[in-house]
Amino acid sequence: MPLQRRKFLQVAAAVPAAPALLAQQSAPAPPAPSAADVQTLATTTPDAAACTTVPGFFTDPQLAALRRLCDLLLPSVNGLPGALDAKVPEFLDFLIGVSPAPRQQLYRQGLDLLNAISSERFAKLFVALDPSQTDQILGPLRAPWTYDPPSDPLANFLREAKADIRTATESSRERADSAPSGGRRPRGIGLYWLPIDPLV
Amino acid sequence: MAETKYDVVIVGSGASGGMAAYVLARKGIKCLMLDAGPAPDLTRDRTLKAVYDLPYRGFRKPGILPHVLQANAFNSNVWADETQNPYTYDGDDQFNWVRVRLVGGKSLFWARMSFRLSDYEFKARDHDGYGENWPISYSDLAPYYDKVEPIFRVAGRKEGWKQLPDGVFLEDNSPDSVCVQQFKTAANQAGIPVTKMRRATGQGMLASSFNLLLPDALASGNLTLVSNAVAREVTVDKNTGLANGVNFIDRHSRREIHASGRAVVLGASCLESTRLLLNSGLANSSGALGHYLFDQFYITRTVDAIMPAACGGKANRHLIGGGGYCPRFRNLDTKAKNFIRGYALDFGSGGTPDPAVIPEYGAALESKLDYYRGAGFSVTTMGEVLPRFENFVTIDRNTSDAWGIPALHFSARYSDNEFNMAADAVSTLNEVCHNAGFEVLAKHDKMFPPGYSIHELGTCRMGDDPKTSVLNKWNQSHDVKNLFVVDGSSFVTGGSQNPTMTILSLSMRASEYLAESLRKGDL
Ligand SMILES: Cc1cc2nc3c(=O)[nH]c(=O)nc-3n(C[C@H](O)[C@H](O)[C@H](O)COP(=O)(O)OP(=O)(O)OC[C@H]3O[C@@H](n4cnc5c(N)ncnc54)[C@H](O)[C@@H]3O)c2cc1C
Repeated sequence: MPLQRRKFLQVAAAVPAAPALLAQQSAPAPPAPSAADVQTLATTTPDAAACTTVPGFFTDPQLAALRRLCDLLLPSVNGLPGALDAKVPEFLDFLIGVSPAPRQQLYRQGLDLLNAISSERFAKLFVALDPSQTDQILGPLRAPWTYDPPSDPLANFLREAKADIRTATESSRERADSAPSGGRRPRGIGLYWLPIDPLV
Repeated sequence: MAETKYDVVIVGSGASGGMAAYVLARKGIKCLMLDAGPAPDLTRDRTLKAVYDLPYRGFRKPGILPHVLQANAFNSNVWADETQNPYTYDGDDQFNWVRVRLVGGKSLFWARMSFRLSDYEFKARDHDGYGENWPISYSDLAPYYDKVEPIFRVAGRKEGWKQLPDGVFLEDNSPDSVCVQQFKTAANQAGIPVTKMRRATGQGMLASSFNLLLPDALASGNLTLVSNAVAREVTVDKNTGLANGVNFIDRHSRREIHASGRAVVLGASCLESTRLLLNSGLANSSGALGHYLFDQFYITRTVDAIMPAACGGKANRHLIGGGGYCPRFRNLDTKAKNFIRGYALDFGSGGTPDPAVIPEYGAALESKLDYYRGAGFSVTTMGEVLPRFENFVTIDRNTSDAWGIPALHFSARYSDNEFNMAADAVSTLNEVCHNAGFEVLAKHDKMFPPGYSIHELGTCRMGDDPKTSVLNKWNQSHDVKNLFVVDGSSFVTGGSQNPTMTILSLSMRASEYLAESLRKGDL
C-alpha cells in the first residue's frame, strides 16, 4: 500500500511539470481540453459481453450435483429463465469460493451428501437420478418451515441452497432481460452506494 | 493560527447533533461540529445500477458486516466498517451494533417511522412499579414534539390515544384497502387499536439532519462543520473540572487535534457518546454510565399470511395493499399474566409470501408463488425491552479501532419479560389473522439478537438523583455542568415506539436550555 501511494504521489507530482516544459518550447501550447470535451469511452461488463465464469471451487461431481439441484429447485417455468439459464451454478461456484469457511463447508458437505445418499440408495450420482428418485432425496424441502435451521445437515444445506439459488436467479441479467417492460424502472435496477471517501 | 475557542463543540452530525446545531447556531452561538465520517455527495456517491452488474449479483460481499443484517448488495458501503470499528461481546451473547459514520449519520437511511412517547413510558414506574420514571413527563416534551414534527413533515392520522399521543401531522386520509379493514376489524375486536403508519416525509422522502437541519445551521454562519474528525476524548480544565473541548483524530492522516469550547454537546449516537465518556473517564460518579442498555426487540414476519380472496390473480389496489401500525395495547388498563409493558405491530399487505416458508420447490413452488402473488400479509413485532442494570457496555482494553481508540464490550441479553411478550405477540397475531379471514402460512416468536432494531438506548440515563443517573432532566451531566449528551443514551425507558422523534425533541429542548444558560453566563 505505501508503495502504491508513493507511486501515485510521484505521478501526481509530475503532472504540473508538463505545461512548464511545453512553455519552454517555441510553438504555442494547444489549449488543454476541458473535461467536457473528452469523450467517454463505452465499456461493458464481462457478463454483458457474454463471457462465462470459469468454475474453480467445487469438484466435478460437486458441480454436477449443483447443476442438477439448480435445475430441480428453480427450473424454467412459463418462459421465465430458470437457474441454469441464469448460469447460477457457475455463479455460486464463484460466490461460495470467496465466502467464509463455514459457508464453503456447508456447500461442499451438502453436495457430497447428495451424491453419497444417491449412491447409497440408487447406486448412481445425484446428477444421474430420475425425477422420482430426486424427489425422495429432496423430501426435506417439503417439510413445514421452522424458524430455526434444521439439525439434519442435508436438510439445512437444501434450505440454504433454495434461498441462494432463487436470489442468484432473480438477480440475473437473464431474468431482467425477460421481464416485461413498462415499470417505472427496469427490473433489477437499484440505487447503489459507492464507497465514500475510503481510507487509503 | 491561534486556536479558536468556540461557544459549543458538538460531536456527531446525525439527528441528535444536527438538532443541537440547528438550535444553537440559529441563536447566534458559535458552534464547531465534529463528525467521524466524510460528508456524502448524494449525486456523486449514489448511482443507479442493475443488480446483475454488482460484483456479487444480489448478494453482499461475502464475509463483511457480519452484524449488520440490514446490509445488502446495494448499500454495503454505507455502514461503518466492522474491521475499522470493532467491538466485542460476551461469548455467544451477540449484540448487533449497526452504525453509520457519515455526516448526517443514520438519519440518511432511517425508515422514518415517527412516534411520540407517552406517560406510560415517562412515568413507567408509577404505572407498574418497575425501574425508574424519567425526570420529565409527557407535558414537558410535548411542545418540542410540536416543533420537530413540522420540520420533519410527519404524516399520520390523529386518534386521540393516550399511549400514542397525536402530533402535528400532515393528515393522512388515504383510504384503507379491504385487507387492512378486515385486519382492523379483527384487531379491534381483540382490543388492539390500528392506525396509519406515522412517518416523516421530509423533502423528497429524505428526512435527515443532512437536508433538514444542517443546511439552516450552516446558513446562519455560526456553524463550522469538520468531517473525518474522530473524537477520542472530552478534555477537562483541571482547575474548574469543566469540559474545555474535545481531542479528535483526523480520519485519514491520524493527526491528533484539539478543539476548544465553552461547552461540549455529545450526539455521537447512543453508544458512541457513552464510549467517549468512558474513554474520557468523565461523568460517572453514579457508576451508572454504560448501564441500563436496552433497545426494542424485533420479530420480523411474526406471521406470514395470505388473504385468500386476493389469491389467483385477484389482487388489486382496492382489495389489498398498504399497511399500518398498532401501538401498545397490553398492560394499559389490564394486566398481562407473565410480562409487564407491551409491544407494537407494524403490518403490510400486498406482497408475495417469502418462498422460504412455502414447503415446496421447483415448478410446484413457482405455481404456488404465482397463486399467492400480491396476496401476502405480514407483521413485524416491536417489543419494549426492560432497562436493566445487568445489560451494559464497558471499555475493552484489548481492542481498539483503526485510530487506536479503545473499543466497547457488550454484556447484554434479553430476559423472560421479553420472551413472554414475544410468545404473546405470536399467539395474539395468529388468532387475529384467522379472525380476519387470512390463512397463516408461517409464524414464529424468534427475535433477532439485541441491537438489530437500531434503536439502542440508555447507558447515560437521565434522572433527578445524581447517585443513580448520569444526566439531569436537561440532558446535562450531573458531574460536569457544561457537558450535555443529547442522543438516545439519555433514555430511561423506551416503550415500543421508534425513538427518533423523541431524540430530536430532547435534543431541541436541551439545546434551548444550553443556549439560555450560555446567554445568562450560567456555565
Ligand atoms: C435502516 C435504519 C432504519 C431506521 N428506522 C427508524 C425509524 O423508522 N424510526 C426511528 O425512530 N428510528 C429509526 N432508525 C434509528 C434512527 O436512525 C436513529 O435513532 C437516529 O438516527 C439516531 O440519531 P443520532 O444522532 O443519535 O445517531 P447517528 O445518526 O448515528 O449520528 C451519530 C453521528 O456521530 C458520528 N460519530 C460517531 N462517533 C463519533 C466520534 N467518536 N467522533 C465524531 N463523530 C462520531 C457518526 O459519524 C454519526 O454521523 C433507523 C436506523 C436505521 C439505520
